This record gives sequence, C-alpha cells and structure tokens, in this order.
Amino acid sequence: MAEIFIDNERFEYSGNVKVLQFILDNGLELPFFCYHPALSIPANCRQCYVEAGMPVFNKETNSYELDADGERVIRWFPKLMTACSMDAADGMVVKTHKTSELVRRGQKDVLEFILINHPLDCPICDQAGECPLQIQTYKYGPEGSRFEHKKVHKPKRIQLGPRVILDAERCINCTRCVRFTEEISKTNQLSIVSRGDHNYPSTAPGREFDDPYSLNTVDICPVGALTAADFRFKARVWEMASTPSIDITNGKGCSVDLWTRDNLVLRITPRFNEAVNGHWMPDAGRTAYTVHNENRVHKPHLKVDAGHVPTSWTNAVMTLAEKFAETRSGDILVLGSAHASVEDNHALASLLSTLGKGRLAFVPHIIDGAGDGFLLTDDQAPNTSGVRLLGIEEASADDIAGAAKKAKLVVILADDLVGRGVLKASDLAKAYVVALASNLHATAQAADLIVPVTTAAEHIGTYVNVDGRAQRTIPAKETAHVDRRVNLEMSMGRLDHFGTRFDNWVSDRNRVDCIPAWQYLSQVAAEACHDLGFADARDVLASVATYPAFAGLTYERMDAERGVTLTMEPIPA
Amino acid sequence: MSQTTYAFTPDELADVERIKARYPHHQSAVMPVLWMAQDKFGHVDADVQRLVAATLDLPESHVHGVATFYTQYFKEKQGRYVLDVCTCLSCHIGGGYEMLHYLEEKLGIQEGETTPDGKFTVKGVECLGACGYAPMMQITNDVFVNHLTTDKLDQVIESLKKDELPAFEPIPLVQNRA
Amino acid sequence: MSVDWKSYTPQLIPNIPDLHKISVYEANGGYAQYRKVLAEQTTWTPEAVTTEVKNSGLRGRGGAGFNTGLKWSFMPKPDGGPRYIAANGDESEPGTFKDRTIFEFNPHSFIEGALIAAYAMRITAVYVYIRGEYRSWIRMMEAAIADAYKAGHIGSNIHGSGFSTDMYVHSGAGAYICGEESSLMESLEGKRGYPRVKPPFPAQKGLWGRPTTINNIESLANVPLILQIGAQAYANIGAKNHPGPLLYGISGHVNKPGVYEFPSGMSIETLIHDVCGGMRNGKKLKAVIPGGSSTPPLRADQISGVTMDSDSLRTAGSMLGTAGMVVMDEDTDMVDVLWRISHFYHHESCGQCTPCREGTGWLEKTLHKIKRGDGEMRDLDLLLDLCTQMEGRTICALADAAAWPVRYTVTRFREDFEARCKSTIYALA
Repeated sequence: MAEIFIDNERFEYSGNVKVLQFILDNGLELPFFCYHPALSIPANCRQCYVEAGMPVFNKETNSYELDADGERVIRWFPKLMTACSMDAADGMVVKTHKTSELVRRGQKDVLEFILINHPLDCPICDQAGECPLQIQTYKYGPEGSRFEHKKVHKPKRIQLGPRVILDAERCINCTRCVRFTEEISKTNQLSIVSRGDHNYPSTAPGREFDDPYSLNTVDICPVGALTAADFRFKARVWEMASTPSIDITNGKGCSVDLWTRDNLVLRITPRFNEAVNGHWMPDAGRTAYTVHNENRVHKPHLKVDAGHVPTSWTNAVMTLAEKFAETRSGDILVLGSAHASVEDNHALASLLSTLGKGRLAFVPHIIDGAGDGFLLTDDQAPNTSGVRLLGIEEASADDIAGAAKKAKLVVILADDLVGRGVLKASDLAKAYVVALASNLHATAQAADLIVPVTTAAEHIGTYVNVDGRAQRTIPAKETAHVDRRVNLEMSMGRLDHFGTRFDNWVSDRNRVDCIPAWQYLSQVAAEACHDLGFADARDVLASVATYPAFAGLTYERMDAERGVTLTMEPIPA
Repeated sequence: MSQTTYAFTPDELADVERIKARYPHHQSAVMPVLWMAQDKFGHVDADVQRLVAATLDLPESHVHGVATFYTQYFKEKQGRYVLDVCTCLSCHIGGGYEMLHYLEEKLGIQEGETTPDGKFTVKGVECLGACGYAPMMQITNDVFVNHLTTDKLDQVIESLKKDELPAFEPIPLVQNRA
Repeated sequence: MSVDWKSYTPQLIPNIPDLHKISVYEANGGYAQYRKVLAEQTTWTPEAVTTEVKNSGLRGRGGAGFNTGLKWSFMPKPDGGPRYIAANGDESEPGTFKDRTIFEFNPHSFIEGALIAAYAMRITAVYVYIRGEYRSWIRMMEAAIADAYKAGHIGSNIHGSGFSTDMYVHSGAGAYICGEESSLMESLEGKRGYPRVKPPFPAQKGLWGRPTTINNIESLANVPLILQIGAQAYANIGAKNHPGPLLYGISGHVNKPGVYEFPSGMSIETLIHDVCGGMRNGKKLKAVIPGGSSTPPLRADQISGVTMDSDSLRTAGSMLGTAGMVVMDEDTDMVDVLWRISHFYHHESCGQCTPCREGTGWLEKTLHKIKRGDGEMRDLDLLLDLCTQMEGRTICALADAAAWPVRYTVTRFREDFEARCKSTIYALA
C-alpha cells in the first residue's frame, strides 16, 4: 500500500490513482469543472489546482531525508498542479485550499477569468440552483468583478438540436459535451469551433445535434450553455422534488430521477448506476415524462354508446368480479404486460389462480433493430424479464388476436395493444373488455370498462431489465388517494416541506384518481371472497419472492445495492 | 449558402490517397486535403468542408473544428487576390499599419472586406516571418512582397489587376548579398 | 567576450551560389558526414552520434534552448514500433524569420542534419512541419527532399547501410500555437492545435502515441557541422554555455536589418551599432527585444555588455529565445507596441485553458484602454496582477509568453505607461 498526504492527513492507496478522483472518493472537496469520471481528462479548466511535492529519498541511507523538526523534507513542484491529471505517488504531499493560500489564490484567479466573459444570465438561466459555476464562485471565487470592458459575444439561444439549446456565451469550454459525443455516444456530432476566446461548441454547419443521447450533455454541462429545450423556463431546481426511479421506455431500465413540482413530472435525469447505465440515459427515456402527466384516466369509466362515462370504484370492482364469475374459463383471456411491474403482473396471476379460471398470457413488445448496443434495446418494455420469470405464458400477436376474437371477457393490464398494433379494435368488439390503463390510449378507448391505474411515477413497483437486473420505483407523484406527507417513502421538495395545501402553486388538479393495479385486483379478488393478502406493495413482493427466481428479493436490497441481478433460469413447466 | 456541388476528380482522389499514405493515420490528411480543396475551389466553406469530411471518412464536425481553428483556411469566398498585410511587432513599428490603411483607402474597402468587383480582399495579419524586410504583405497565402512603400503597393495592385503576380523575392543572409 | 565578427565566414549558410541544389551541396562536402556515419556504424553507433551532439553543447534554436543531444537521449530503447522526428519549421514568433533562410539557401544542411538525427534515434519518418504562410519555402523544401530521395539519401536500406527512414513536409495553416511541440503533434495528427497535458512527454508518447523528438530546423541544420568539425571544436564556437553559429534575425529601426550568421555571444551593442549600421535616421536607441516577442524587452541602458547567449541575457533580465532581435528607437510608443504584442497573443491563444483564453483577451482590452487614453493607474497594477494569474498556470507556455512582455514592458517603461494614464480626466494621482 502506498501513502499520500492530503492537507496533513494520511491516506493509503493502491494501484494507479489520480489525485482528484482520490480526493472525491474520500469525501473531501476540491472544485473542478472539466473533469468527469466517465470521460477523458483534459485538465483545461485549471480549477482543481493543488500544491504538490514529493519527499526527498536518500539512496545512500535508504530513507527519507528529515529536517530539523524530524519532518520529511519535501521538494515541492514549482507550479500549481491540476489534481485531475496528476498521478498519486508514494509519499506524495498535497495541499488543497484548506492548507494553502497559493491554492486559494489560484482557485479564485481561475474563477475570475471564467467570469469575465460569462454573461450575467443567472436570473434567466435554467442552470441556476444546480450550477457548479455558481456554487464554486460562491465558495472559492472573487468578490465582485474587476473587468470593465465589453464581454465577448457569441451565438446565443441557438437550437443546436431538437432537444438541446446552446448559449455559447455561457460556455466555459470545458469540452465535456464534445468528449461525450466522441467517447460515449460516439456520434462525433460536436466539436469546438473557432479559436481563442471566440471558441464554442457546435455541430458542423447545417447539421443538427440529434444524437439519441444529446440530453446527457445538458446534464454534464457545468453551466447553462447547453440546456434542455423541453424543460426551458419551466421550473427552478429548488422548486422541484426529486425521486429515484427507473426509465420505463425500454428494456435497459436506466436508473433515473423524476423531478416533480405540484405533482407534474417536469423532467427526467439519469441517476448513476454502475451496473446498469453508468451516468447516462437515452433521450427517448426523458421525453416519457409526458406519459405521467398527460392524457390520464381519472376515475373508472364505463362505455355507454359511443363514449365513456365515469363511474365509481365500487362499481368498477364489482363489474369485473361479476364478469369473472359469469364467464366460462375458456372464454376468459387475461393479458399481463411487460410494461407493468412485477407486483401488478403477479397480482393478476394470483387472482386468476385463486379464481381457477382464465388464460393468462403476455405479448412482448420487441422491435428488432431498435437497440444500439448501448442504452437503447430492442425491447421496448421495462419488465419483460420480470414477466417471464413469473412464468407467465409468452404469446405471439397473431395468437392473441385470434384468442381475443373468440373470447367473451378480455382483461388487459397496462398495455396499449391496439396502439402498438398487436390487436385491432375490431378484435375486441365481441368481448367485454376491461382495460387497466393509466392513459386514455387506443386500447382504453376500445374498452367497456376502463380502470385507471398508477404509472411508474405513482407506485412502488419492481421491474427486471433485459440483463436480469431487478430495480424498483418509488412514487414521485401523489395520486388522489395518497398524501406525500403521510407516505414516508415519497420525497418532499422544498415547496412540500415549507408550503401548505392552500398555497397558490399547489393544486389538486394533478393528483390523478387512480390506484395501483395490484390493489384493484386485490379488491376484485376480495369481492369474490378471496383474500390475496396484499395490504401493501411489500406483501405483493413477499409473495413474489416465493418464486425461486425472486428468492430473497426485497425493496431494501434493491435500494441498497442499486438493483439486484436475478438468475434468469427458465421456470419449470 | 451556395448551391454549387463540390467534387474531386479521380486524379485528385488519387492525390488524396498519396497524401494519406504519408501518415500512419488518415486523419492527418485533413489539413493537406483542406489545402487541396482551397487551392481548387478558392475557399473551404461548409459545403467544401463536407466534401473533405466525406472524402476522408471523418466526422463533419471534426473537419469544421479544424477548418475554423486555422486562420489561413477561408471559410467563405474571398476576392481573387487576398492581400494579407503584416501589422505585427517589427512591421508595426516599420509602417505596417500605414501600408494597410493606404490599401484600404486606395481600394475603397475596410480591413476584412472585398472590393465590389471581387478582385481584392485586404486584411491585417500577424507576423509572417519577414521582420527584417518590413513592411510587407502576402498575396493569397503565397508570394511575399517585401519592403513595401506606397509606390510599390501601387505597382503591385496594377500588376494584379492584369493578373500578373509579383515575382518571388529571394533575400539571402545580409553577409551573403552581393 | 568579443567575437571577431568582421572576419567571420558563414558556415551554416555559406555564400555558395545555388547551394540549394543537391549537386552543388554535395560538391561542397554535403552529405559526407551522413555517409560517414552510415558507413562506419561500429564507430558511429546511434549512441555515439547522440553523445557527440550532446557534448557539442548545441542548444535548441527554437527558443527554449534545451541541449539537443540530451533531448535525443530521452528517446527510449526501440521496441519494434515506429518512432518519429517532427522538425519544427512553424517559425511564427514575431521578430523571427531565420529558418526560412535555411529552407531557401541551404535546405540540404537541414535535411542532412535531420537524417543524421533519424539515424541516431532510429527514426521511422521525419515530418517537417512548415508554417502554412511559407508556401514558397514549402515548395523549395519539397523539391529538395525529392532530390534527396532521388540521390538515395532517404528511403529503404539507405546506401546499403540497413538504415531506412522517410521524410515528408506537412504544411501548417496559420496558427502560432502549433510551434509548441505538443500542439505541433496534434496538428500533424489532423486535429485542432491544442497543446497536450504533460506528462507524458513526446519521447514517451508523441505522434500517434509513439516516441517522438521535436527539434527546430536550425538546430538540426547544425548537426552536419558538429560531425564535421567535432564536438570540441563546435563547443569552442561563440559563447561558452551556448555555443555554435547562430542565425541572428535583426529587425526594427536599424539601417541594415536582416538575417546574419555569427557565432553565438555577439554583443547586442555591436550588432546594433556596427553590424547593422546603427540606428536609422540617426535616432537614439530606446528598447531592444532580444529574441522574439516572448522575451522581455531591455531598455537602452540595460544592454551594456550584454551578449546574445542564454547566460548573459538571463542575468540582464531577458532570454535568448530565437535570437530574433527587434530594435526600437526613441520615437517608439511603447504603449502602442505592447498593445500590439498583446493583440498577437490574444489572436493566437488556442483557447483550451482558462487563464490564457480569458487572460490574453483581458490583457489586450486593458492595454487598448490605456492606449486610447482611457487608462488609469490602477490598470497598470491590474496588468501586473493578471500576469501573475497567468504565469505557470496553463497547459503550455503561451500564457507565459503573453505575460512576460506585459510584465517587463510595463515595469521597465513605467513612465511611458504612467504618462499615458495621467493624461486622462480620470487620473487620480
């Protein structure tokens, strides 16, 4: 083990270690901009300066030289060193701002330089509140400005691509975005153009930044130079609550954070997960926020003539229970969904198993060629593996279309089969169709009974990705039946902590009248005098964990380990 | 942007291959091929940059980044003759700005502009490496015209109007001059 | 130490007509040293050649002045993979215009020197990076290299020696920063000329990740001479710690500006008043920039006894740099001159790292403010502060090169700057 001293504290390390990453890994602080653990090291911002030196080793005495006080003699490197690019060496002594006036001066000088041409955009800049430049200037920067000249002007408010807006004046040329397109997404769409203090990142002339991972550059941009077009001016970061969740748009299941304010999901950002997605997520997963906010089904609805009318939950529960009771087993087709959680699918299976009737199957949602070998998969659903591990029959679109035409009762769990072309509305014309749906999509519109269920933003659910990694969601959005302050697992934003129900910015409009699918199915079972024993999601998971594939799986484990990899063994017939 | 389609002839593409063969990695060819394109088309605007990127199988943004880094690549069409007058250090104290302003007045344009007839573009530039022969200028990235005076500038302009380029001026060590 | 310059005959660029032609060069002893080394490889092992160059005391002529042979010795042992020399002909430092004389009048001295270096370091290919503005000289070098190939001096199994190497010219396209050795490598690799973070150094990881040595054109042009007269004799030419013939590029307000070849260590006063025929129009000397715009200027009263070698200039408070001397007379507006120098560095900053990208712009804007008469005394303090914030803080030395002229011109010509500031209505003191 080698030793390194940082601000007079001794640390041990092994292997090849860069000083900045080591400092961060040990919970110490050092300001930086251009460094990113997943990208190459350019050392161009110069913010991470430290003083460093090596002890003098005497080859003859085979020991370090000591001074009058018995301390090792240190030969200090003549210049401030950038910690991000400096390799730790055995015996190295490092001084940060905590113990070095020179380092403090160096940090302040760099920030002063960055700020001379940086526009005073904070009041209108989306980065405000989560801006490393703001934070580091506050902590390490100069007070006031000595710059009295005209700032350099560069392109501003440019639609760089369909989802990204560039403000070149704010850019500090850290090159994170350029390195991202070279090293991670490998589209090479960005380059720094021009020279000196007129430089800024850009695409080739006439080309858009339509990289399928373009919004990751918005995350890693340390200033407001790259911002999300969709999120522009919508909210300040301190107004939002953030909740850990999962990308439900494809089979990779990238770990994400859902940002909500007043129960609308305003944006989705990636959450670091070494085992699944690193620091990144595809743009397609971010635009999914609309699914949680728009076109929602509030209250159960019954079809009357050509349209739907709202009805009560009691009615919704009783109707399905009756339909199950009065329909022969061979005429019942129940469809689970790879878009729904393990809990929801398991509740469906448990219901049928208790009732002892009906065919349960699911149609995977896989588009060949849609995947790119990185974070986009052919599988368009987040839980295909989970449904398979539950042993639910996998069927083809043709099979199910044929079965639907012959069935008298069709129950569809959270899957827009009509919208994605598995079924036609006419296939469902004959049967009594019950759609458990979050949004009023084509399948819901074709249904006789629509039961509104929660989206992944509103419930605790387990999803198993294409690699067998089980992760779980936490509710970020309140439903009409859930109160954030009472549900201890839900996050509370600043407005939630310090606001009241009666503030202007709080409305109940965005709390959808829906419940988790497993809860509804539990009530249907109860109506038929069967107690599934599912009081909350934990009970459902405990029941799921009796399957060998899910043995030992708990929410605590998934939270602590950022997901659990299950062994994908085929279920015995 | 112009609608002209830019292309390399088969002979020129063979030249490109010869250029690539000089380096272990073909990316190095981007600078010589940008020069080739500029010598042929007079500039390397966005469309020419795309041609170079496609010819060398390099990302377009990369070629754009290279073209905008180096000042000698013209990002848009210039006048037939680009007069780069040095105004740096030795030329600065040797009358470089006077020569530049003389040309501006004579041709009726400001620095960076092109005459309406498309014949001349005038620019002030950084040190060209002819400090002992100040003031001086370069014509379209090629021949140096040294020891400028307003008379000499008059002569050069007249010659250029007839499309006669000034001859190269060999300047030996002072000790080796006749 | 006085040099008998009047009787000195140029050796680096001898006064032989048509010396650029390979037939003339060879008729005058050209390529003989190269052939000797190739023919007597047991005596002239690559290590022996390197040692000879090291012992000659030849120091890099590109401005940094690092012992050339010592730099060659940093190349690691061959591992079977390619190894490169990049010859630096980017010559863009204001005041410098000497390498082009080699290209034009004795190109083969450089080619021979580069080939000997290639033998000494076991080099796969030599890339001659020439600034794009030197189009005329690029043509000359390409022709000379073609002639050298035809004569069998470059290529495979050269003269049956078993040594093979290639040589190519690579044209720059207008970027002073590409004279910095790691920026030159980036440019050769077909990228924007951003200097690299060091370590690793070029000898460990250079062009395309392989061991590379970068040498100035004039440095390599000295190598045949070293082998011809021997390290000891070479070390005796000119100044003791910075020996050899030197190409002095003298410009500015002297009667006979131009490139001169003399032994190193010429006295500045001799150069100005004797060699160059004195100040123009009988004016008095005001300032001298000894070796290119990056070297601190010296006032007329600071050059007494100062000679053009690194020790003397360092003691005097400047550097030898490229020996591109700029002479300024009493009518020179130092504020204007400094502003124009700062404009150069602002224009040439590659923009990669913060202190240089922003600092060069701020320096220029402040100097412009002073130049146009809006300057205040505190602007002078600000300038010096900015210099401190830039020096030693960047990936390459361009920020230092930009800061030194500002720091030393303001300090050494303080009255000029203060006078400019005082003549505004905002003057405080």
